[in-house]
Amino acid sequence: MPGQLYKSAAIVGAAEANEIGFLAEPKTSLQLHIEAIKNLSNQTGVPISKIEGVFSTGWSSELCEHLGIKPKYIDTTAVGGCSFEMHVHHAMAAIHSGIIDIALVTHGENGFSARKIGGRGTGNYGRGAGVASPAAEMSMAYGLGSAPSNYAHAMVRHMHRYGTTTEDYAHIAKVTRDWATLNPRAAMYSKEKHPFGGPISVAQVEESRLIAWPLTILHCCMVADHGGAVLIASPKVAAGLNTKPVWLAGAGESMGHANMLEMEDFTATSASRSAEAAYTMAGMGPGEMELAMIYDSFTITAAITAEMLGLAAPGEGHTLWKDGHAAPGGRLPINTNGGGLSFNHSGMYGMPLLIEAYRQLSGTAEDGVHGDVGKQTSAKTCIVNGTGGALSTTGTLVLVADD
Amino acid sequence: MTYNKPIPTRGTHTVPFWEGAKEGKLMLPRCQDCNRVHWYPRFICPHCHSTNLEWVEASGEGKIHTYAVQHLVFGPWEPEAPYVTAYIDLNEGDRMLTVLRGVDPQKPEDIKIGARVKVEFEQANEDTYIPFWRVIEE
Ligand SMILES: [Zn+2]
Repeated sequence: MPGQLYKSAAIVGAAEANEIGFLAEPKTSLQLHIEAIKNLSNQTGVPISKIEGVFSTGWSSELCEHLGIKPKYIDTTAVGGCSFEMHVHHAMAAIHSGIIDIALVTHGENGFSARKIGGRGTGNYGRGAGVASPAAEMSMAYGLGSAPSNYAHAMVRHMHRYGTTTEDYAHIAKVTRDWATLNPRAAMYSKEKHPFGGPISVAQVEESRLIAWPLTILHCCMVADHGGAVLIASPKVAAGLNTKPVWLAGAGESMGHANMLEMEDFTATSASRSAEAAYTMAGMGPGEMELAMIYDSFTITAAITAEMLGLAAPGEGHTLWKDGHAAPGGRLPINTNGGGLSFNHSGMYGMPLLIEAYRQLSGTAEDGVHGDVGKQTSAKTCIVNGTGGALSTTGTLVLVADD
Repeated sequence: MTYNKPIPTRGTHTVPFWEGAKEGKLMLPRCQDCNRVHWYPRFICPHCHSTNLEWVEASGEGKIHTYAVQHLVFGPWEPEAPYVTAYIDLNEGDRMLTVLRGVDPQKPEDIKIGARVKVEFEQANEDTYIPFWRVIEE
């Protein structure tokens, strides 16, 4: 039996900033937010003034001020890239309880432009207790900082436990790039678009530059510019709109740790718990998922997450890609936009997951706002999972098409 | 030679750890109610939520839980790249992060998960000795 929040709300629109990727002229994070929100309003026909709840990382109040709106519900959950899946969960609860009927979940992050003009827009995520944190005190001596420097430890443990190889994971990068070559908005769409774009081979992934062994650069996501927003509405409001609703059937969230120092099992994440909650609410299981949008910060993230979501047995996540199931034309398409590996990743990738899931299930993956051509699948169900921090926090959603 | 890597900023409740390190001792926080050690140091036992904590001298030995080789590095550690980082399972329980010594970063496949390691301390300034772990030759 489905849970209380089952289909209590729907995503009724999803849009991106006017330009995304490696912007030649730098933009601020706020600018990327506003472009996406304006496009979302145009797409759905819902005026910005009608937004009742605003969900974003850290700085929701500044966004509302900039938009000149006074919402009834404000959420600033900022626990890394999965925050946006959690925002949707929270918006479902707020709508179900009758506090609001229309919620905006919004993202803007100039991961690439920040190199020139600063202001990354992560909403203070990761700053935490700063130097007053004993975890930082006991880790800062050893020079770990970037995400790959941490995630590589999980990959080594996974290889040790299951006998997986770097080549196994390289298939994830290769297949995800294949999807990107179908999506003109993907940063790595083609050689013309980016010198390192276009199709890649497993051997190329293996032979690319080492970042943190065993992760080569093609096992790692990019850091580019992205802005995106989705609108969540009650069934009553959704019925009056011209856009197609995509129903929120299940949602769940959890965490394992904040610092990798506290990661109990380096081969598992809290996605097992957030997925269980989402499946239970939806009254569905992994066998009924026809599409998966999985945060692929690194190939290892995607592999472990596929295992946690029950889409593959423990230690066999990579086989979904290696055996072609996740590829264009496969039985379980995964990351049809080209993923954080080859589409876009600004630092927090939860929003692009939501946008692509909406487009696929609303049939607008080819002609929605910036939907572009070639990657529409026939999927009617989708599991979306975001991961935040250092394999720390997770948010999972089960989405179902309207028909 | 001056120590040129990041030197930890001390918290208010970790003094015994750093004082022990000066004498070459690895000090760990232990709960007096459930007798379990934990790492990093807390204000409360993460296992049973008791606040009756004490510091005990540990064996300074453990095993490699997992590791990685850092190639793309920014900041003070950059000249050392590639270097090996590891998480160490302490004999007393729980886990520490470290830079691993006695291993060849060019041959990561030769490093063994489960290999025995021992702590050593390097002086960073007058007051601070930083723990590093070294693989014990079998
Ligand atoms: Zn205790």
